[in-house]
Amino acid sequence: MTAAEFWRQVFEIARKDLKVEGRAGEVLSITVPFGAVALLLLPMAIGTEKTMLAKIGPGMFFGVTLLFGMLVAFRQSASDTQAQRELLTLLGIDPAATFVGRSFASALLLLVFEVILAPLTVILYNPPLVDGWPWMLLIILLVALGLAFVGTLAGAVTAGVRTRSTLAPLLVAPLSVPLLISSSQVYEGLRLGRSIIPWIVLLLAMNLALAVVGVATAKPLEETSR
Amino acid sequence: MKKTLSILAPLAVVGVVIGFTFAMTAPIDAYQGIFQKTMYVHVPSAWLAYISFAVTLIASIGYLAKKDLRWDRIAASSAEMGVFFTGLALMTGMIWGRPVWGTFWDWGDARLVLTALMFIVYLGYLALRRSIAEPTTRARRSAVFGIVAFVQIPLVHFSVSWWRTLHQQATVLRPETLTGAADAPIDPLMLRALMVNLLAFTLVYATFMVARVWIAKLEDEREERHALENIEIAGAAISAPDFDGGFDD
Repeated sequence: MTAAEFWRQVFEIARKDLKVEGRAGEVLSITVPFGAVALLLLPMAIGTEKTMLAKIGPGMFFGVTLLFGMLVAFRQSASDTQAQRELLTLLGIDPAATFVGRSFASALLLLVFEVILAPLTVILYNPPLVDGWPWMLLIILLVALGLAFVGTLAGAVTAGVRTRSTLAPLLVAPLSVPLLISSSQVYEGLRLGRSIIPWIVLLLAMNLALAVVGVATAKPLEETSR
Repeated sequence: MKKTLSILAPLAVVGVVIGFTFAMTAPIDAYQGIFQKTMYVHVPSAWLAYISFAVTLIASIGYLAKKDLRWDRIAASSAEMGVFFTGLALMTGMIWGRPVWGTFWDWGDARLVLTALMFIVYLGYLALRRSIAEPTTRARRSAVFGIVAFVQIPLVHFSVSWWRTLHQQATVLRPETLTGAADAPIDPLMLRALMVNLLAFTLVYATFMVARVWIAKLEDEREERHALENIEIAGAAISAPDFDGGFDD
């Protein structure tokens, strides 16, 4: 298979997943409001002291993104049936292209989730606007991509498993911690004027490692889902 | 395997006895007192946890490359051992932390929190294995997760260097310690006791690994036998016609 064919398959898989989401509207109508509710509830549980809320706001945003983003990342693989998976195989779709396409579609949806919740976090928590804040746009993108890779992998690993709905979050949540730490540390670094490069490198390395593992193991995983 | 076990098991017992003796006769720390002795269990446990998870990673790659269930049994057994040693490292760390740090648990300590997460990741690995009954599917999916799970180990290991928190930085793998310099951060007698205990723990790991892989092999064979016994034979549902009173000639 040529590179052009591979990327065409990636594009088609991503388009298919986004079309399914477009029809269901699950992310916009359910997951985003659910995340917003979490951002509203947390100050009620921990107190409404303004200085504290401003301090923890960015961390809350990334925490909510990781926890609720999991729902976005699992959404597609959860709706897949055995027949749909077999059809993709019969059509000769490269499993690696399926993995990458799915991850990209999830990343885009996660990005939408983050873009809606970020201003809400600013309104509710009022964190200080730090110098170099445009760096956070890159971080939001890398977090979305990393979470999409982990979620797609976990979705494939737990496909068809009876305990899937509880098992998949157990697998994803601890593995996403480096994403949470790096993203929070970048904000802290910008706030305190410290170097943020090591954390960006960590995020990039994490994304790269997950992408490589996902692509390399896509075929054996696909064989087990038949 | 029986022969290997009959050699390894007594060696492990002797190793533990010698390790215990060395730990008890090593000098008592001037500041931490008797509580420092937990180091002779804590540090080898943490190292063995890393080794166990590295073995799981290698065996997972081995399984995906060779498609041989022997690799899967090694990966699973080593993950179980890793979870045990991580649990032991966490427990001994907390027991030591209470009198020395003044608390069992400190959220600001990156090593402690990340080690607990590593523990949960591999508990997830074991939960995944229990959720899938079919051996080949279980082996392949666990192998993939065994590789993904290892991604966070460097983060756990280097956390003491990246974040200056309560947990002390690397002691043994420091150039001063390795070259035996006068300003080494550990007393030579303590270092010797630690190394003996590391060897003893490695023998314990090897013994339990051989035993666990053996048990896993027996379990697989039993499952296979069970599957063969319950297999439906073609035509089993067809029975000979039974005519009352037999055939009339």
